[in-house]
Amino acid sequence: MKLACVVHRFGADIAGGSEGHCRLIAEHLAQRYDVTVVTTTAHDHITWANHYPAGESTLGAVRVLRFPVARQRHIHRFMDLSDLVFADRGSRQDEEQWFRENGPDAPGLIDYLRQHGGEFDRVLFWAYRYANSYFGLPLVAGRSVLVPTAEEDPLIHVDAVGPLFDLPRGFLFLTPEEESLVAMRAAPGRPSAVIGCGLDPAPGRADLSPLDGLGLTDPFVLYLGRIDPNKGCQALVRHFLRYADQGRKVQLVMAGPASMPIPEHPSIKALGFVSDAVREALLTQARALVMPSPFESLSMVLLEAWNRGLPALVNARCKVLRGQVQRADGGLYYGNTTEFIAALDYLLDQPDAARTLGQQGLAYVDREYRWPVVMAKIERLLAQTG
Amino acid sequence: MPDTKIRVDAVMNEIEHDVRTRLRRHLIKRGGAAEYHDEELFEAVRALLARAVEERNLDATLLPELLDTDVEWRLQSHLSLSSHRPVAGRFILFFKRRVLLPMTRWLFEYSQDNFRRQDHLNRVLFACIEELALENARLRRDVAARTPPR
Repeated sequence: MKLACVVHRFGADIAGGSEGHCRLIAEHLAQRYDVTVVTTTAHDHITWANHYPAGESTLGAVRVLRFPVARQRHIHRFMDLSDLVFADRGSRQDEEQWFRENGPDAPGLIDYLRQHGGEFDRVLFWAYRYANSYFGLPLVAGRSVLVPTAEEDPLIHVDAVGPLFDLPRGFLFLTPEEESLVAMRAAPGRPSAVIGCGLDPAPGRADLSPLDGLGLTDPFVLYLGRIDPNKGCQALVRHFLRYADQGRKVQLVMAGPASMPIPEHPSIKALGFVSDAVREALLTQARALVMPSPFESLSMVLLEAWNRGLPALVNARCKVLRGQVQRADGGLYYGNTTEFIAALDYLLDQPDAARTLGQQGLAYVDREYRWPVVMAKIERLLAQTG
Repeated sequence: MPDTKIRVDAVMNEIEHDVRTRLRRHLIKRGGAAEYHDEELFEAVRALLARAVEERNLDATLLPELLDTDVEWRLQSHLSLSSHRPVAGRFILFFKRRVLLPMTRWLFEYSQDNFRRQDHLNRVLFACIEELALENARLRRDVAARTPPR
């Protein structure tokens, strides 16, 4: 079978959620099928500035076709249009324009799909919110599978999204919550599967020496990922400072590139972008993972934490995170500062119970998210959409 | 796997109950509604407001639809520049966009951030009012059903 995977950015050095998901799935599909990734030359998810060389290359067994971005995203124009469209005050043209402004605007990618899309047995699209999916999917609708990576944000209610969701032959979802969300906007009856993402079992206990000299104190709780207000990090810092003010001796370690100021405080340690070795060591040594994001379609970091037997503390306002924690019995959740404090107290003061929650998370990953399980679901869906 | 399974829902029920008790005592201590001495009543009020905040789609409430247009209540968080002058207008707009706006961008973004927050709060209040109206309508219907016809 000849497969195309269409995604807005692609590269081994891109950490983004849907991009990373696409790369992992494409690499595993390439073990059995002829896989081409159709993407842009962008690396920066804010500007879409051209970074990689255009043209054909390979990443492992995957063939990669990159098309240049014609114009960078004008963030202020995009934000203004978002306000208009999300408030349901925009016309249908405004809504279409929103997808153009969101980008990436890669006319070569759209032309390629128009001319060569029919040469693939299936064309898989990642992330419905980007221009490559919105304008590309209709060109190959009859052979398309959409991985929407939909989140409970205002875009899902925009009128233009309904007709887009009526087009694909099938859907691959990351969680049952995402499936329900898309079901509100899509015509019923199309094949679909909830796949999440595959993980390999974690190797034995990680080497902790990469943590030497980082200034970490025990115990610490870990935030891993982009440090961004949209990821709930401002609220996390506020909750944690209230916690620390009560005299608790615990550190919040924030590991990831920051796009917001992080307060100077003895209980907060920002590490910036960390290597895989540091990441593994942090996941091994932390007492809990905190996930404050209000919008997620799947949290890979949460699965990685469970893969290491680490319990989680997640934002209850994100249905996906709360659902994952409840299904796994792998952590606790909070809806406000007081609940954050009480739940963190529980995880720190009852280490045996916290360990049990982490082990239950690991058992959930073993049940649902090992590669053979995930790939079997994808292959069944590909067969059903033929 | 450990022998004793821990149910997250059970732990969270305990934590949430504890948090609600502390919140109720805190409000009473600060001079909040005297009715909150009644734990059951406090829980009914909390649950109703929580339903409005957490479960309602804030973009689909009735009250805004009853207002004339959303210009009446919606905060204008995006900036559209225009001029009524047919000839000089182009130059004025150019000046506003290229000189004035970049110079005042910090103030614009600060205001926009606050407008967005206020806009969200307005919609939460609409949802709370709607939840109260729904509760009232349901109670009226129940009372009417129980009242023997005269």
